[in-house]
Amino acid sequence: MEKGYWNPIFSGFILGTVLFIAYAIAGQGVGASGAFARVTAQLTYLVDPGFASNAYAGKYLRSGNALSNWIVVEIVGALIGGYVSAAMSGRIKQSTDRGVGYPVYKRLFWAFLGGVLIAFATRLSRGCTSGQALSGAGGFSVGAWIFMLSAFGAGMFLTPLFRKQWKGL
Amino acid sequence: MDWLFPLFTTGQIGNNINLFLGLFIGFGFGFILEKAGFGTSKHIATVFYFRNLRVTQTMIAAIVTATTWVVIFSYFGWIDFSHVFIPITYVWPYLVGGIIFGAGMVMSGWCPGTSVVGVATGKIDAVVFVVGMLVGMFVYFQTYSYFQVFANSGNLGRFTIAKLVGGDMFTTSYLITIILAIGLGVFMNVMKSIIDKKGEVNE
Repeated sequence: MEKGYWNPIFSGFILGTVLFIAYAIAGQGVGASGAFARVTAQLTYLVDPGFASNAYAGKYLRSGNALSNWIVVEIVGALIGGYVSAAMSGRIKQSTDRGVGYPVYKRLFWAFLGGVLIAFATRLSRGCTSGQALSGAGGFSVGAWIFMLSAFGAGMFLTPLFRKQWKGL
Repeated sequence: MDWLFPLFTTGQIGNNINLFLGLFIGFGFGFILEKAGFGTSKHIATVFYFRNLRVTQTMIAAIVTATTWVVIFSYFGWIDFSHVFIPITYVWPYLVGGIIFGAGMVMSGWCPGTSVVGVATGKIDAVVFVVGMLVGMFVYFQTYSYFQVFANSGNLGRFTIAKLVGGDMFTTSYLITIILAIGLGVFMNVMKSIIDKKGEVNE
């Protein structure tokens, strides 16, 4: 078994409590995908100012800076928090997790493609496992469960295709 | 009590203080995800193979905990939950978005939140995943006009479990959340024990 990780039920209790603190202070749950959407919008806007009129991302740029938003600050905090935790547990290490004997380049190809698909999906589903599934279900949203169960079902259905990538893990 | 949660959306703290506190909430979020074992793609991907209950157990416990706090604070009138933003339910986009998302998860071993922690701990696959996400976002922005109608279909507004089946937050919504959580937990445990018996843990 992995050492140095918290018991999952304890982790969940603390995570749910932090989620509630986010509700109680900011009036919204924790999220992640929105920050990446905003970073993309800001980068595109810097290259092409005409992007401010984009049908979807225009709403991010109304204040002139897509990054001046709670979700972006929260994700910067998460990056620091993740680093501090990993450093305390001695888990900072450059590596690529993959199945036994699986080529790194193939692993990185799937990581990239998965990133593309997931980003696209989060715009349809208004959030990811954090902002939609966790924060939505914590607020009794039906949509959160629709998203969670359909994501879980699709992942299970496709397991045979990626068995080698995760072999032995 | 003079004040009432949520502090920001009821105007009791300003934007700058809210952002400042958001940094600490994010810190806690990232710290916990790492400590819970979400900082490696193997813990995420193996969920779909029922080899690992860590991530689902954490999610289930988090949802039950958060809803319990919501119910307690609402009962005593300490929080006005109507001021807490909950994503609007769009049935069809959530169903399709969920399917694409699940496919992306089993192929990449990441989701947006966990990839942040993966990047923080030095996972190359997380960095590549994040680059993929930026590309995916760009593609969506540029092609949105083709999806716009579908993306906004099945809009049910702020649609809670109680609205679906009747009752209120304290009885129906909370009870059904607990039932769903236990159901998911039992399902995972049963599937894992079947997989374990078949001895396919390392294949």
